[in-house]
Amino acid sequence: MAGLLDGYRTDGFFDEVVGDDGSVREHYQALIQRLRGLTPGELERRERIRDALFRSAGITFTVYGDDAGVERTFPMDLLPRIIPAAEWAQIEAGVIQRVTALNRFLEDLYVGEQAAVHDGVVPRWLVHTAEGFRRQAFGIPVPHAARCLVSGVDLVRDEQGRYVVLEDNLRNPSGISYVLENRAAMTRVLPLAFAEQRVRPVDHYGPMLLRALQEVAPPSAGEHPTAVVLTPGVFNAAYFEHVFLARQMGIELVEGRDLVVDEHVVHMRTTQGLKRVDVIYRRIDDDFLDPVVFRPDSALGVPGLLSAARAGNVTIANAVGNGVADDKAVYAFVPDLIRFYLGEEPILPNVQTYLLWNDEQRAEVLARLGELVVKPVAESGGFGMLIGPHATDAEVAAMAERVQADPRGYIAQEVVGLSRHPTLVGDHLAGRHVDLRPFAIAGETVEVVPGGLTRVALREGSLVVNSSQGGGSKDTWVLDEVAGVVADGPTKEEAAAC
Amino acid sequence: MLARLAENLFWAGRYIERAEDTARMVDVTYHTQLESPYGEVALAWQQLLEVLHLDAAYGAPIEPLSVMRFLVLDPHNPGSITASVARARENTRSVRELVSSELWEAVNELHLALGARDLARELEEQPYELFRTVSRMSMTIYGVASETMPRDEGWRFMALGRMLERAEMTCRLIDVRYAQLEAMSGPSQRLAAATGEAARGPDRTDFHHWIAVLKSASAFESYRRRYRSSMDPADVVEFLLLEPDLPRSVLFCLGAARHQLDTLRDGRSSRAARRLGRAAASLEFRDVAELFDVGLPSFLEGVQQEIAEVAESIADEFFHHQPSGALHAIAAG
Repeated sequence: MAGLLDGYRTDGFFDEVVGDDGSVREHYQALIQRLRGLTPGELERRERIRDALFRSAGITFTVYGDDAGVERTFPMDLLPRIIPAAEWAQIEAGVIQRVTALNRFLEDLYVGEQAAVHDGVVPRWLVHTAEGFRRQAFGIPVPHAARCLVSGVDLVRDEQGRYVVLEDNLRNPSGISYVLENRAAMTRVLPLAFAEQRVRPVDHYGPMLLRALQEVAPPSAGEHPTAVVLTPGVFNAAYFEHVFLARQMGIELVEGRDLVVDEHVVHMRTTQGLKRVDVIYRRIDDDFLDPVVFRPDSALGVPGLLSAARAGNVTIANAVGNGVADDKAVYAFVPDLIRFYLGEEPILPNVQTYLLWNDEQRAEVLARLGELVVKPVAESGGFGMLIGPHATDAEVAAMAERVQADPRGYIAQEVVGLSRHPTLVGDHLAGRHVDLRPFAIAGETVEVVPGGLTRVALREGSLVVNSSQGGGSKDTWVLDEVAGVVADGPTKEEAAAC
Repeated sequence: MLARLAENLFWAGRYIERAEDTARMVDVTYHTQLESPYGEVALAWQQLLEVLHLDAAYGAPIEPLSVMRFLVLDPHNPGSITASVARARENTRSVRELVSSELWEAVNELHLALGARDLARELEEQPYELFRTVSRMSMTIYGVASETMPRDEGWRFMALGRMLERAEMTCRLIDVRYAQLEAMSGPSQRLAAATGEAARGPDRTDFHHWIAVLKSASAFESYRRRYRSSMDPADVVEFLLLEPDLPRSVLFCLGAARHQLDTLRDGRSSRAARRLGRAAASLEFRDVAELFDVGLPSFLEGVQQEIAEVAESIADEFFHHQPSGALHAIAAG
């Protein structure tokens, strides 16, 4: 594929691979050279290998709205996204800083003195009206304040290539299984491309997560705490990931009915009798966790779980009530929270965000709604969002009405011209918008898995990367400190073997 | 392992066995009644429902085709073949991460195969193929399980469920045949039947009926090798109940179940294991003539009762652990 990038256009967006002058960026040169050595037929063959790998591994997510629960694969593009070491160091530091501040804020809010609220850094009414705020979480301790044990911080790059935070996912961020499976697939599909790149591994995620879960075990748990993964069950969209994580950590995957609370202690029912559980990595939303304090009709949860947590006999991860901090209106205050709790300037900036209960800002936004992005504050998955420049007049007008009816329910942001990455479309490469979700794990310390999930909007021009809305993914390579060795062009034999 | 998953595997084992054995029993009833007068036919189906404890659930006029439909394809009858297979599939699906993918596929294939057939028409026209398919595919499922699953707790609970179910169903198979024989005979013939006189007499139909029973337990050929041409009901009953080497005999099944349970209890004291041992021992040291003295049906009923109690104890000991606090609360309440 000598003409791999012939006719490739960046269309004025920041391109991850091709610089402004049309040349391939340095950290991509080895990969592009490698791919240029392949025949077009060879690339197709590699795609077929990839498809077979994913099908046989059963890597799917479930699309709701169908009785049978349609299972789809999350397509992985053959071209990986590459992040140079220095660039990653900045992302890593920024994510750690952000997650640390958010954990401090949540800990202070639920078991501390609520300093940020008292000092007016975040308006009290805003906190209390956040959909993810949970009174029931008051007084529930979490060791090391690791309330966001797993966080997914969604980053995008703007027209200048600057990384900015689009949103935080602090409740049940999913997608890590794709990171690991994508990597496993890539090492089989393009093995030699790795050999000359010094790509940092990601497969220590399971042990890393398990260690963090054990670190947050209550003091009463003793030396060998028992951790479990709590799933809503086989019909959940992310069930594959729940199974995957339980396997990676070698711990039990339980459902609510497998657990029972007796005298404020959680047990799982095993064939050998009741076994005490110390840490629950739950993949069930707050509302379904405990029918005694939340939705009484929930059959997914465990009656009495929250009282056990409050008694300090079990740690629930991620902690209850985290949703208050990833509310999209509270998001706007995260840079201030970083300054307040850490005394540092934010390393990763937010996207310019407008708060619509503020009369002035709302008036300004309504006047130029067609140029902005409007998002409901508590939705995820890209649902209910308006992208002004892509919307019809009727859609814009409808959104204006919704905003006026419920100003607290929405935020507006400047459109970010998300960076693009060459992506295999049919038999050629075309630029497609991408984002990046690095995963941070907090235990005694906060660590970030090198890379994360790069999602790609497969539809031309689309800015929506969510899996439920036609998104795909890319393996994400973080290069090691030692600069990648750029080989001479591969010989024909090498190219065939790569 | 998690109790819920163990219980699902235990019941998957039972449901598949139940589907297979129901197919065997409907088959033997269908084929023996082909040569019987109408009144006896109705009685035969009535008795089949009774030994399966489904007579109350059936609650309709006894008509052969209608009973067959009830036992084979009625989704509202939890003991029907299609319902048993559907539940076995549901259970296997819920433990898919624990069983081999080959096992899941085999169970799913049986479910799909039944869904793809016009069962109602087959029952009317020629049900033999259907029964054979159910029995063959059920055996395939166990073969696949046996060849692909590690001998872990999950495997043992599945095998335990299957063996208890089979022991119970073999009791019922003897029961249904014996009940039919009794009903067809006057008191003197009943005595003769009990002692084996009838089979040696000129009643050829009866002879064929016992062959059918043996065949439905895949035991005809081994019976022949053991007893040559003699077809004594007492021998048949002894063979199906007490033959230690016959894989469908009640004694064999209880022994196999015992082996699994002893491994599972891992040295712990177990009420279920004691009950199972007692049930097996009560068979092991029994002389078949004694059985006829106490009355075969009531003896078989007793064995089934014991098996049901074993299953209850297994559920208490392995599946339904309650926190002691809750027990105190119940005791106090």
